[in-house]
Amino acid sequence: MNRHRILGLIALAAVLVGFYFGGQAPLDQLQGDYTRIMYVHVPSAWLAYLSFLVTFAASILWLARRKPVYDRIAESSVSVGVFFTALALMTGMIWGYPVWGTFWDWGDARMMTTALMFFVYLGYLALRRSIPDPAMRATRSAVLGIVAFFLVPLSYVSVIIVRTLHQGITVVRPDSPIDGEILLALLSNVGAFTVVYLAFMSVKTAIARGEEQLEEQSAAADATPAGAAITAPNLEKVRDV
Amino acid sequence: MSGPSFWGQAYEIGLKDLRVEGRTGEVLNITIPFGAVALLLIPLAIGTDRPLIASIGPGMFWVVTLLFGMLVTFRQSATESSANREMMVLLGVDPAAQFAGRVVASVLLLLVFEGVLAPATIILYNPDPVEGWAILILVLLLMAVGLALIGTLASGITAGLRSRNTLAPLLVAPLALPLLVGASQTYEALAQKSSILTPILLLLAVVLGLAVVGVLTARFLEEASR
Repeated sequence: MNRHRILGLIALAAVLVGFYFGGQAPLDQLQGDYTRIMYVHVPSAWLAYLSFLVTFAASILWLARRKPVYDRIAESSVSVGVFFTALALMTGMIWGYPVWGTFWDWGDARMMTTALMFFVYLGYLALRRSIPDPAMRATRSAVLGIVAFFLVPLSYVSVIIVRTLHQGITVVRPDSPIDGEILLALLSNVGAFTVVYLAFMSVKTAIARGEEQLEEQSAAADATPAGAAITAPNLEKVRDV
Repeated sequence: MSGPSFWGQAYEIGLKDLRVEGRTGEVLNITIPFGAVALLLIPLAIGTDRPLIASIGPGMFWVVTLLFGMLVTFRQSATESSANREMMVLLGVDPAAQFAGRVVASVLLLLVFEGVLAPATIILYNPDPVEGWAILILVLLLMAVGLALIGTLASGITAGLRSRNTLAPLLVAPLALPLLVGASQTYEALAQKSSILTPILLLLAVVLGLAVVGVLTARFLEEASR
């Protein structure tokens, strides 16, 4: 069994454990079963932030050291991060409809910043597809990976900057009012989603490495060798004279 | 014999951009009228409810500035070919100075853009007057600087690409969100006579952060454009 499958199975097991804790945790008095959506929504949002943080760090490392591995990590982490961002947005909207009475709240700064973060990183992936040259692609994407990252802390603190319907910072604060069992369920799902992130990254970076090798082979096959236009002298005719 | 200093190079680059604008008149003759048309079309689309139009006026101004200001910031890179970029390298022009010069030229053009469209918004939308014009002028300046920085960065990232015309706006519009939030929140705070510190700090932080990233990454973007 290869590394990807082992990681995939560990991720599946971790998710099942996380969902078990989510199923056992007490329900919110007002939200009822809709509370459980939070065990997917919150970890997805955190993992999206983590993915883009990894891209930010890998982009700086690419610019500083120019090792292809950093570019692969940056690209792969954006792909995975875009998936988690979409998941966070969708689960947020599914939760919002019964609880807030609307799928989308225009006054919610967290929703808006997360949606825009999603589009910027889609632009990152579009940028990569637009540039055939690997070094040029890596450098330009790295700059975008650094610039785009400032939306991440902005999205996180948006609930403080703007008066908004979205719940404020709850877990990471000294006087957190969160119930112990709910916190356990939430953190076990964050852990499980982190393993899912690692499993996705493992597969995605392997695909990126394969694509790189394919590009190199294709470039080598297309390249005309130096001196190809010069034909070998016909020595037999020379002997005949 | 040494060449011009960093700021001397930036000045020449900025002046070159402004000369190109002086010859083509793209911002003055096309982008500003285009923005004014957008300001005229919005009330037609939402109906003639005067209180509603007055309340959305400032927000519409910021949105039009953001969307059409992008065109102002992209205009300089659209006129630049790869031969131009090669020439800059051969002349030994500092990439950070090029970046700074372009940003300054874009800021000046954006201020002209805002200077024409702000009175047009007041006339067309008749928003409720607010106190603190000096702060609003500061916000206009910060918005112009921030937009110029993002636009110049996006121009560098997408320089020479076939998909540049569609890709650059896709990158700039979401990245300019903090500017939009900062500007609109400042206006709202002035209208409600509450503290403007947080949105102003947000605008300053974004501008400062983008300036640092822009200068530090200019060399890398120049390498990647050859």
